[in-house]
Amino acid sequence: MREHEAARDWIRSDETAKQMLSRVLGDRAFLLLPPLHRVPLRAGNVVEITGSSPTAKTQILIQAAIACILPKTWNGVHYGGLEKLVLFLDLDCRFDVMRLSDMLKHRLLEANRIGNGAWWQLEESSGVKNCRGAQDKSKSKSKIVYDEELYVSCMKRFLYLRCYDSLELLSSLKTLHYRIRLQEACGSQVGVLMIDSIGAFHWTDRLSSSLALDKNNRKSLSLTNVVETIVQEMKKLMRVHSLVVIATKATIYEEKYPTNENNRKLSSNNDKAQQPPFREFMPSSWQAFVTHKIFIRKSGDHHQSSGQQSLSAYSLEWLQPQLSSIDRFIVDDSGVVIVS
Amino acid sequence: MAPLKHLEMENPIIDASFRDFCSSHGILTVEDFLIHDLYELAAFAERQVDADRLKEGITVMLSLLEVKCRPLLNGMELLEDLQRNKHTLSSGDNGTDSLLQGGLREGQVTELVGPSSSGKTQFCMQAAASVAEKQEGSVFYIDTGNSFSARRIAQFICGSSAAAALQKRVLSRISCHTVYDIYTMFDTLQGLEVALRSQMNVNECRLRLLIVDSISSLITPILGGSGSQGRALMVALGYLLKKLAHEHNIAVLVTNHTVGAGENGKTKPALGETWKSIPHVRLMLSRDNRNNICTISILKHTSMLSGQTVTRKDNQQCL
Repeated sequence: MREHEAARDWIRSDETAKQMLSRVLGDRAFLLLPPLHRVPLRAGNVVEITGSSPTAKTQILIQAAIACILPKTWNGVHYGGLEKLVLFLDLDCRFDVMRLSDMLKHRLLEANRIGNGAWWQLEESSGVKNCRGAQDKSKSKSKIVYDEELYVSCMKRFLYLRCYDSLELLSSLKTLHYRIRLQEACGSQVGVLMIDSIGAFHWTDRLSSSLALDKNNRKSLSLTNVVETIVQEMKKLMRVHSLVVIATKATIYEEKYPTNENNRKLSSNNDKAQQPPFREFMPSSWQAFVTHKIFIRKSGDHHQSSGQQSLSAYSLEWLQPQLSSIDRFIVDDSGVVIVS
Repeated sequence: MAPLKHLEMENPIIDASFRDFCSSHGILTVEDFLIHDLYELAAFAERQVDADRLKEGITVMLSLLEVKCRPLLNGMELLEDLQRNKHTLSSGDNGTDSLLQGGLREGQVTELVGPSSSGKTQFCMQAAASVAEKQEGSVFYIDTGNSFSARRIAQFICGSSAAAALQKRVLSRISCHTVYDIYTMFDTLQGLEVALRSQMNVNECRLRLLIVDSISSLITPILGGSGSQGRALMVALGYLLKKLAHEHNIAVLVTNHTVGAGENGKTKPALGETWKSIPHVRLMLSRDNRNNICTISILKHTSMLSGQTVTRKDNQQCL
């Protein structure tokens, strides 16, 4: 009898397909992080943003981080955030926390304005948000104040780690799991792991590969081995925590031919996978790890209607999955604003 | 690359049998430990006779690594560190200060790019004089082109009518070092780092400003060709400067020259694409010699829009 019971238990299903789908969608939900909102991201996705310097890649990361650390609602005001921890690995060592703080304050003020029904012009003509000048902001700032407690709790959800070379990066990744566990004990889970920028130690690692060791069973600290170990450690982290990885990459070779939009249209008539518009330098283990790719380039100046100085505009293109539309955006005080 | 046996004294678990097990997998130093998969290593350890001791050894190694790692800071702690430790230093010129909302920030590397004889060295000396006098901090001036002049700095100190004692005190806070190649530069900076770490840079006359005039003359001779050595040294130097700036709360000012004729004929900063990611703030200095007008514009800033400029009229006496 016992064996029949055991066999029956084994055959009986654990859950139906509907239950499984609702569980998976709940655990690993789709994230829509503006300005990367064209493609919904799920836990386990690795997004790589490539662009020469300076093309506002860190600004995009900060904007996505703010969308992640804000709560969904607070005191009746809707913020639309994910209320998750953001882990920022700064390999570039240039992060300015004042910029994060200013952009967060802007978002809180803006959400409060909309929530309180105060007049705020949102011209939705072709998706262009009308940004007001500095004088208007100072007038209305005195009336509407953001919630200090909310600001502090959001800033506390932003975790920052700095590495000055690959050895520090490797040792941080190996001990990261325990440290994240400690942080998660205070409440929220980690949602996004951001790396700025992944190719930072490329040249110094290439130099150490030329110092080859002659013992045969010893793994040398070469570029391929280091990147392979980084990818391995990140995969292990992703198995335990459900995260999206967003990494920026600065191009280190100069573009020989300026690839503006006209040149690309002429050569984009074939359906085969195109040559990427920049020279790829990361080893194949990293390239295989990446699931989504974005390319950003400068795209001329954007003249603002209110007569302020023209800001430089950038164009954001999804290379993988290949989308035909290209977003143009500018960076102003409140962050990344898509203009067309 | 310290071999593992150096750890035995303080951690008796890293004994000979642990080290033999590690060397059978090709791990002889701590750095080798970082490249290997530790779960795999633990699985191998399972099969050995003294499995528990070996796994304990691996755990001890991990905890040693964790001690050496930098702490995980949250946003509020970063802000606190910024407000408490990283002050803004006036650069001596009101126009630049208003452009940069205060001046040079401690913890950041500021790069000044300009064609030759556009006033970069004058700017550096003015900044040195201003920090030594007004903020009463000491200045470490690295000169690569024999352009440092103590007399010129003395002129910047509140007009030449200042008392001789004040001048002497201010000048004694500026130390000038001549460096002609990149290896001596690494030597000097590493010596500085050791000195700063040992004396805990917190007293009154602490080091506040590090000037390198000019960094491009050290790096340009080693760049070039398809080898990676030149660029690797440049990146290593850049990171050493960033580490000094952030860990010891120093403002770093470096100068760079321009190279001409990109595809549209405009001049651009030297040192190439890789160097663009190193400085926090990049300023472009240009001078119109006929009208004696000097323009400073922002090429890149971590928290401000680029493209803003400020101009001023130059005269010989005091900028």
